[in-house]
Amino acid sequence: MKNILDRNQNKANEVRNLLASRKVLMVNIISSPGAGKTTLLERTCEALASKFRIGVIEGDVTTDRDAQRLKKYNIPIVVINTEGGCHLDSHSISKVLDSFDLDNLDVLFVENVGNLICPSQFDLGETFKLAVVSTAEGDDKPDKYPMLFREAKAVLLNKIDLIQYTNFNHENFTRDLKKINGKILQFDVSCTRGDGLEEWFKWITDQISHLTSEPEAYF
Amino acid sequence: MHEIKIAEDLSVIVLETAKKENLSKITKVNITFGQLIQIVPDIFRFAFDEAVKNSVAQEAELTIEVIPVMMKCINCGNDFQVVENRFSCNVCNSTDLEIIHGKELFIKSIEGE
Repeated sequence: MKNILDRNQNKANEVRNLLASRKVLMVNIISSPGAGKTTLLERTCEALASKFRIGVIEGDVTTDRDAQRLKKYNIPIVVINTEGGCHLDSHSISKVLDSFDLDNLDVLFVENVGNLICPSQFDLGETFKLAVVSTAEGDDKPDKYPMLFREAKAVLLNKIDLIQYTNFNHENFTRDLKKINGKILQFDVSCTRGDGLEEWFKWITDQISHLTSEPEAYF
Repeated sequence: MHEIKIAEDLSVIVLETAKKENLSKITKVNITFGQLIQIVPDIFRFAFDEAVKNSVAQEAELTIEVIPVMMKCINCGNDFQVVENRFSCNVCNSTDLEIIHGKELFIKSIEGE
């Protein structure tokens, strides 16, 4: 039986091999629109741009507004406008990788198009997927979109400072999340106020360091 | 909305097959989706029909089989069906699991003449 997404999968495998050979960590960030992906990237660049060589791929249906917000960090940014498409695929990633100097890059953050279903179906060749959810969206997201939370290595629960103004039930959210993926890591953060971000910085630092410090493979 | 992209990829494979096998008309396309893919069959059908318009597959009948999520427990070896998104073994409660079914996006067969 032939897999319909073979073309996407083959290209994703190529991307994964290329990035592994250059020791670049690629994080595929998936969330609904407005959950805080770009603000997370702003805070992460502020904290880590002096330590690591960061690159960003901004997936957006249209406009380069997210990329404009990251310009001040003087990092390489490439925008992919999907022109109506609801997700990025491995071919669009592969095409823009040429624009990066991969030998001088430690981590590549991919901000996927805001959407919880479609992006989780398309492997981009990432090292891992990161889900971002905000308290304002409600606590039912894991149960409604199990594929994303099953596939993601970690979830950032953002806008934790707003929880008192919403009917978000933290206990239910964590219970549903662990039911779907017992191994997923959860960070409770506020990307605007800064709560919980130190823990995220420490974890992502470990992920990058772990990859870049791996011994060279000899053939 | 991912239905559209997946339907387009399917149409490419179907039309390539028609060309390779020298078929002048595709009559049936049978596909299997895992439940985790969250495909809405009606949207998928619509997207596929659009993608094969004015081609040898424009009259093809599309049958979609959706299969439930099945996991294997790495801890105790039990195979079980996931209900209500409960991804833990129903015997030993372990979350150390391997997926058996649920992420399929397969073409079972393409028929034509």
